[in-house]
Amino acid sequence: MNIGRLGWRTPTGAMLWEIWGRYKVSFLWQGVALAASAFFVYWKTHGASESFGDLLGVASLCCFLGAYLHLMVCFGYMEFDARRVQLGFPGRLLLKPVSTARLVLVPMVFGGAVVVTIFALWTGLVLPHLSAINVSNLLWISTVLLSLFWWMQALEWSLPLLKVRSVVLLMVVVIHLLVLVLPQMPANIASGWQWRILAALLASAVPAAWIGLKLMRQGRWEGPSQISMLWSRLRLERARGARKKFGSAFGAQFWLEWRRQGLVLPGVWGGIALLVFPVLLTGFKWVGVGTPPPEAILVIMLVLPLALSVVWGFALAKFDLFHSMSELPVYIAVRPMTNGGFVMAKLVMALAASALTWLLTVAAACFCLAIVGTGTLFSKAELVTPLGPVAYMTGCVPVLLLLVIWTWKNLVAGIGAGLTGRSWIIRLIPVWRSTLLLGLFALVVAARTYVNFRETLLHWLTGILIVCLTAKIAVAIIAFVLGLRRNAITARAVGWMVGGWLGCGLFVAGFAGHVCHEINKPGLWMWVALGGLLVLPLADLAIAPLALAWNRHR
Amino acid sequence: MNPMKFPSPSSAEAVIAVSGLSRHFGPKLALDDVSVFVPRGSVMGLVGENGAGKTTLIKHLLGSLQAQTGRVRVFGLDPVLDPVGVLGRVGYLSERRDLPGWMRVDEYMRYTQAFYPGWDEAYAGQLLEQFRLDPAQKIKTLSQGQQAKMGLLTSLAYRPELLILDEPSSGLDPVVRRDILEAIIRLVAEEGRTVLFSSHLLDEVERVADHVIMLQRGRVVLNGRTEEVRGGHISAVLAFAETPVKAPVVDGAYAVAGYGSEWRVLFGGTRLELEAAAALIGARVVEERTPTLDEIMVARAGGKGS
Amino acid sequence: MQFQISVQNGAPIYQQIVEQVKLLVAGGRLKAGDDVPPIRVLAEQLRINPNTVARAYLELERAGLITMRQGFGTTVAQMKSPLSPKEKLKILARSADALLADARHLNVPLEEVIKLLREREASMQPESTQ
Repeated sequence: MNIGRLGWRTPTGAMLWEIWGRYKVSFLWQGVALAASAFFVYWKTHGASESFGDLLGVASLCCFLGAYLHLMVCFGYMEFDARRVQLGFPGRLLLKPVSTARLVLVPMVFGGAVVVTIFALWTGLVLPHLSAINVSNLLWISTVLLSLFWWMQALEWSLPLLKVRSVVLLMVVVIHLLVLVLPQMPANIASGWQWRILAALLASAVPAAWIGLKLMRQGRWEGPSQISMLWSRLRLERARGARKKFGSAFGAQFWLEWRRQGLVLPGVWGGIALLVFPVLLTGFKWVGVGTPPPEAILVIMLVLPLALSVVWGFALAKFDLFHSMSELPVYIAVRPMTNGGFVMAKLVMALAASALTWLLTVAAACFCLAIVGTGTLFSKAELVTPLGPVAYMTGCVPVLLLLVIWTWKNLVAGIGAGLTGRSWIIRLIPVWRSTLLLGLFALVVAARTYVNFRETLLHWLTGILIVCLTAKIAVAIIAFVLGLRRNAITARAVGWMVGGWLGCGLFVAGFAGHVCHEINKPGLWMWVALGGLLVLPLADLAIAPLALAWNRHR
Repeated sequence: MNPMKFPSPSSAEAVIAVSGLSRHFGPKLALDDVSVFVPRGSVMGLVGENGAGKTTLIKHLLGSLQAQTGRVRVFGLDPVLDPVGVLGRVGYLSERRDLPGWMRVDEYMRYTQAFYPGWDEAYAGQLLEQFRLDPAQKIKTLSQGQQAKMGLLTSLAYRPELLILDEPSSGLDPVVRRDILEAIIRLVAEEGRTVLFSSHLLDEVERVADHVIMLQRGRVVLNGRTEEVRGGHISAVLAFAETPVKAPVVDGAYAVAGYGSEWRVLFGGTRLELEAAAALIGARVVEERTPTLDEIMVARAGGKGS
Repeated sequence: MQFQISVQNGAPIYQQIVEQVKLLVAGGRLKAGDDVPPIRVLAEQLRINPNTVARAYLELERAGLITMRQGFGTTVAQMKSPLSPKEKLKILARSADALLADARHLNVPLEEVIKLLREREASMQPESTQ
């Protein structure tokens, strides 16, 4: 043990050494990411082409954001309690003979210092080369960031109830966003009061954290609160009258999956789309800054859920949001259900979540457009006829279905890897996916730059797609046969998976055919149809029950 | 009531049939050529020190572990190849309870009920009242004893043909232990129900189990009816004519302890064998009795016998 | 009917039940015609395996102390034992051997043992005389 070598045999030293010890590897990766970010920018400014330079800029920004957010989480100083029930301040530290002030100040001061320094360094050194954003308000932004960080720490430590915490956190984030745009307000208001508001926010964060932690230490937050007990009882009464039993084992398993994870994507996205966006847009309108055009808003609303679904798809294989992916809870493993049944429950849950997400998106889009005004969006000639809007609406339905299918595919693809429960496989998932993405990216870039390569690629594309498709179907058949033989999946589940794949594939092909016909490029249809069948998950789903069997029967 | 209503275990078919099971975890040998046969209607006690392999054996029965060598059959089926067929007839209570903390008590009952067609709603309600569990409470707020009762409730309510309990009484106060034992016995009193439970509380095992298996470092060292296992050992006091200089070595004894000229031994064998072994080293038997399972286990595990 | 089952002492549990029933009958606390609890109830009450209780009852029935009838439950039998005097003495011989072995270990002379037997017999008379 190297505590002595640190030299600081003080509680502060011990706390810092512990943060260092726990997150050594994370800090290393963050350092690498920050260096990569700087490197990309350097590459961009020294002889990269225009479009490639843009890409490098985006990559650099992503590296920085990823590293930075992770850094904030590390210094957030949170831990699961002994019974894996709450995420909050490490409970064992509350029992040490250390004053609450020190427990609060060490992570806040050091964490805040690191967070602000890294941000300042990056915006000072890297950002000017990245884009032409004027960062003259560096001090302002840094202080808002510090305040946000401190408030996040305060809330994470003191509010044990997860639902309440999420709501309050969201409110705090919104408040800080509003504060961020304060300097843009008209100049006829005295300029000092903005700083006073920020100073008040900043100064109240530390006492709030101190009070929260003190209450935690005194056990005021122990046990279910009166409200949660009342809520539990109300739900019990409601459940007593309603359907008392699940219709089938599958229904029960679906209920479990939905309760544990179903509302993550719709909830997070719904929160952003229905709360944050309208608030921001209203704020922009009120402040007088121009709001983005409605097309841009719609594009963001299209892209963000898809992106979020990719992120959440990593975690779909979990059986409980707060457990690690390699744990298969015992109370699930001993249920008399085939592995295929568990997988189907997850698949159906993902579908329901996707559908709900897009319904929320439609509602949010209407809401935001109502705030911003539709502008030139609906000025097409077709809409002037009486049937026009109806046709437009019905035309949107296939698009929505396509988006639901796409989101579902993002969530579900590669679920087998997570279900294996082997940590080395799980750790390789992001590596595998990034490699695939980079490979595809390199292919596209090469195709754009080298014309010969593009010609040969397009010439052989149909053949390549057919070969890949055949391989996929072969893998799926082998996996299904193995699964059926080992009782890992029932014939009915196989039917659903294959039927679903074919059905979605046909739908995508039909839709693509219609679109290709509209844009007058019939040659494209074959590629899109084959690509759709290739991208939609079949082999993934066939392997998933076998992967779960490998986990369940070690 | 005809006592023969309780089927004689030795004549019935085996609900659990494990033969030649071995299991490695890396370099460590957790189970070494273990064979277990549990006939229908019997109560089998699985005893052994911590780390002897009891939980590993139980996991094999549930299909959580695959047999590396040997065969595992429950109800004649392989639990890995047919999880539905086996697990649908088995009730399981794990050592660490492993319950979903986020569910309420009534939600967990509803969830479990959906998987077992044989769920007896009236019996479940009766157990709920008897165990004094509040259906509106979240499982993570229940105490250890209440969680054990919850786990037991959801394993008993569908009247499984086989009940597997891993340390059901560990960490529980005597009142809860009493409730659990009563519930187990009520299940056994019905025809055809089989129970396998592992426990450190050997007086419970002696009361309730009619067969006992003892595992030591992954091997089966004792296997038989409870009275036979006890009857096969003698706890005796040997008096030496000449005071031995150091602890005497008695051939066939598992533990020797004492001081001076009188030493207590735990001997495995008949009385005649004991007298012969004692005579060999110049001692005679002055006191003897049947040892408890506790004493047998501690002695065989290498501790100092009383 | 209250029993004390101890796992600590050497005798198997079913034997402890048998002995205690014998004591209760001999001491008059259980009279002929009294109801004996069904196997399941006694097993739950004592928290022991029902098979053990079944075995004890079987042994008691064989010894003629109780009668078990389908549908009517179990009752204490009349004191008439179906065993011949020779068989009865054979059963008693076992207990006698155990008693004499203990006496020898403890170096108690035979006269003292006989005196003890008389004393114990006297104290076993039904409570009505006390």
